[in-house]
Amino acid sequence: MTAQEAAFNRQTIEALQPIHSPPTTFWSKYMWSLDHKVIAKQYLWAGLLFLLIGGTLAMMIRWQWAFPGRPVPLLGPIFLRSSGGVVGPAVYMQLFTMHGLIMIFFAITPILIGAFGNFCIPLLIGARDMAFPWLNALSFWVFAFSQLLVIGSFLGDLGAAGAGWTTYPPLSTAIGTPGTGQTLMVAAIFTTGVASIMGGINYITTVIRLRAPGMTYMRMPLTVWGQFLTAILNVLFVPVLGSAALLLLMDRVFGTQFFIAGAAAVKGGGDPILFQHLFWIFGHPEVYILILPAWGIVADLLAFFSRKPANWYKGTVHAMSAVTILSAVVYGHHMFQTGMNPLLGEGFTTLTLIISVPAEVLFLNWLRTIYKGSIRLTVPMLFALSMVFVFGLGGLTGLYLGANAPDIYLHDTMFVVGHFHFTMAAASFLASLAGIYYWYPKMFGRNMNQTLGKIHFWFSSVGITLVFGGQLLVGYAGQNRRLWNPFAYEVFKPLQPLNRWTSYFAFVLFTGQLIFVWNFIYSMARGRKAEANPWSVGTLEWSIPSPPPVHNFDAIPVVVRGPHELSNPELEKKLGRDWVGQAEVVAGEEPGAVRTAAQGAT
Amino acid sequence: MNVAAARGVIPYRPAAARGEDTAWLGMAIFLGSWAMMFASLFFAYGVLRLRQPVWPPQGTPQLPELLPLVNTLVLAANSFALQRALVAARGGEKARVVSGLVQATVLGILFVGLQVVLWTSLFRSGLAFEDGSLAAVVYGLTGFHALHVLVGLLGLALLLPAVLRGTLNAARNNRLRLWVMYWHFVGVVWLAMYLLIFVV
Repeated sequence: MTAQEAAFNRQTIEALQPIHSPPTTFWSKYMWSLDHKVIAKQYLWAGLLFLLIGGTLAMMIRWQWAFPGRPVPLLGPIFLRSSGGVVGPAVYMQLFTMHGLIMIFFAITPILIGAFGNFCIPLLIGARDMAFPWLNALSFWVFAFSQLLVIGSFLGDLGAAGAGWTTYPPLSTAIGTPGTGQTLMVAAIFTTGVASIMGGINYITTVIRLRAPGMTYMRMPLTVWGQFLTAILNVLFVPVLGSAALLLLMDRVFGTQFFIAGAAAVKGGGDPILFQHLFWIFGHPEVYILILPAWGIVADLLAFFSRKPANWYKGTVHAMSAVTILSAVVYGHHMFQTGMNPLLGEGFTTLTLIISVPAEVLFLNWLRTIYKGSIRLTVPMLFALSMVFVFGLGGLTGLYLGANAPDIYLHDTMFVVGHFHFTMAAASFLASLAGIYYWYPKMFGRNMNQTLGKIHFWFSSVGITLVFGGQLLVGYAGQNRRLWNPFAYEVFKPLQPLNRWTSYFAFVLFTGQLIFVWNFIYSMARGRKAEANPWSVGTLEWSIPSPPPVHNFDAIPVVVRGPHELSNPELEKKLGRDWVGQAEVVAGEEPGAVRTAAQGAT
Repeated sequence: MNVAAARGVIPYRPAAARGEDTAWLGMAIFLGSWAMMFASLFFAYGVLRLRQPVWPPQGTPQLPELLPLVNTLVLAANSFALQRALVAARGGEKARVVSGLVQATVLGILFVGLQVVLWTSLFRSGLAFEDGSLAAVVYGLTGFHALHVLVGLLGLALLLPAVLRGTLNAARNNRLRLWVMYWHFVGVVWLAMYLLIFVV
């Protein structure tokens, strides 16, 4: 690039994203902030708060499975006063319903997509903000409103929603669960879907339009790829969930009969199975919505902390894209037991098993990235490694359920619960923690305590494996899911010790999270001040101060290389360090002519 | 890979035009997303209809034929008026923009009014909300669509003062362009609804 071209470039790109003066009032700074970094933090706080609520609900479920009929200690006297602290059947239904919905839509989604998407996308592609900052703020406050509806659901007459997280009719219709709690929860799902779509529109547009010059698609960090593909799935499939929630709301509020059939419907009623179709057309992409950002973050972190370029970067990108596409055509494997045509079941089995091929490409790329790497066992890296482990377990158990024949045996057992907790809960949760520990210095300008982080890591990774491993075991032994008192059945009585041990591990896992809460809050005030680039990584966010100024980049960077340019011997000789910035021009290199190991010959 | 792009050279376009392209892209993604919403509603309708031995289900009143057809023409005229307003806005003819927007608003209100007539007449002829899948589809889907027409009317209400004040003019008319896109979308969805529910 000639000097003239460069000046011209600068002018064009700076004119597109001018620097605005930073906000000064409390309202514009913290509440209705248009700054993507503040919105990311809002999402993070909102998500962590609901993670705590969802986790507390899980503890009460685990108590019920360990000691059915005994009053819940600590929580029982506060929340279950009317029943003397005992979890009754109706309350139990509400517990697992609210636990599932809160964790998926109001905890993991805001953290993994809301917080990391907002924080990382502009910083990692070299933009000053999102494409639509106003829409971004609106998306958060719509989301916050949906969380308010969730809180309202707890206060509803007849208690919170209790039709299971899948909200299947006829149980979820006004006939099955007549309380306002269920209605509010369905409304909350619709509202949070609207927020997700707003976010998705913003993310896609930002990635397409606001990449810094030279930041080609194949130079984007994998974190951004994960968020980009997730956003695509969000805008395509969240509306399908929206339509299901909308029709269910009409059934509940106006008395229409989309999902009511049989005796309750006189003049040609609706079809409960229709809801399952709509739900899972969304629901299967949803599991990838929750895991793609995690894949992206972990793929990046494995490279950064192995001090190696990510193995076959393009392969990872293409595999993630392939998964994104395939995720749209496998939803029928959730409905093998609905009287589906066996031929259709065969088809869905085949497609489901095909999806494990790109997933395998990803997985092998991760392993080959760390193979012979100079591994730094920092806290984010530890969490990334354990995410690889639990995702491996989750993926393998998925094969049992994706194939029609074993699914007939395992359907509706705790095995299903264990499987999706390994993938959606454990893997997404551990990747979220990896991301929080990794970007915390950039977000808050201070470091978290690494020793406490390591203690938290052992609690989390071992705890999660044991808890969800226990669920897999009892499920394989045949224990059905969602049973209020599994041991009322003679056949499940021998499983009580295993359930009890799993519950003990769950309590330990939860207690371990308190270390994180302390570390997260204490470090914000008292943590060691973070330097600009504490991890020695070359992506763009580490080239600016921690925390970044409101406009992120004083001058929009011109990117000359890929994200994982680590341990390049040529550059090490020149620079005396094993990393090089994505926008760093090294003497003797023609900018733009740089070929990175990951890119190959382009 | 594009060599110039890899070297970091960006082809020149004025910043305002780039901003407008970005806004257009966001709107296109939004409408694509919302099209999925309506597609799944149509899917739901298809499933419900195929589950019935006969359609419309026995004991339900005949759906009107004329009123939805008139409404289709109303929305087509609305789209046409808006498109002309957009062309006029690009040419800087303020009076014609205003007249186009007013026509579109009147047509939009007319559409909602006729929908209300349609619903009440169906209701009077004995089709309650609770009357099975036909009632669910007719009231639910057209009602949800009518909400979108109301949103579009809100948009026109926001645009008119901007045109009168002159903040929406020959140089800056992207807001109008995006709202016109939205109205076209609402029109196309109605066309699909008309054909699938009232004709087929």
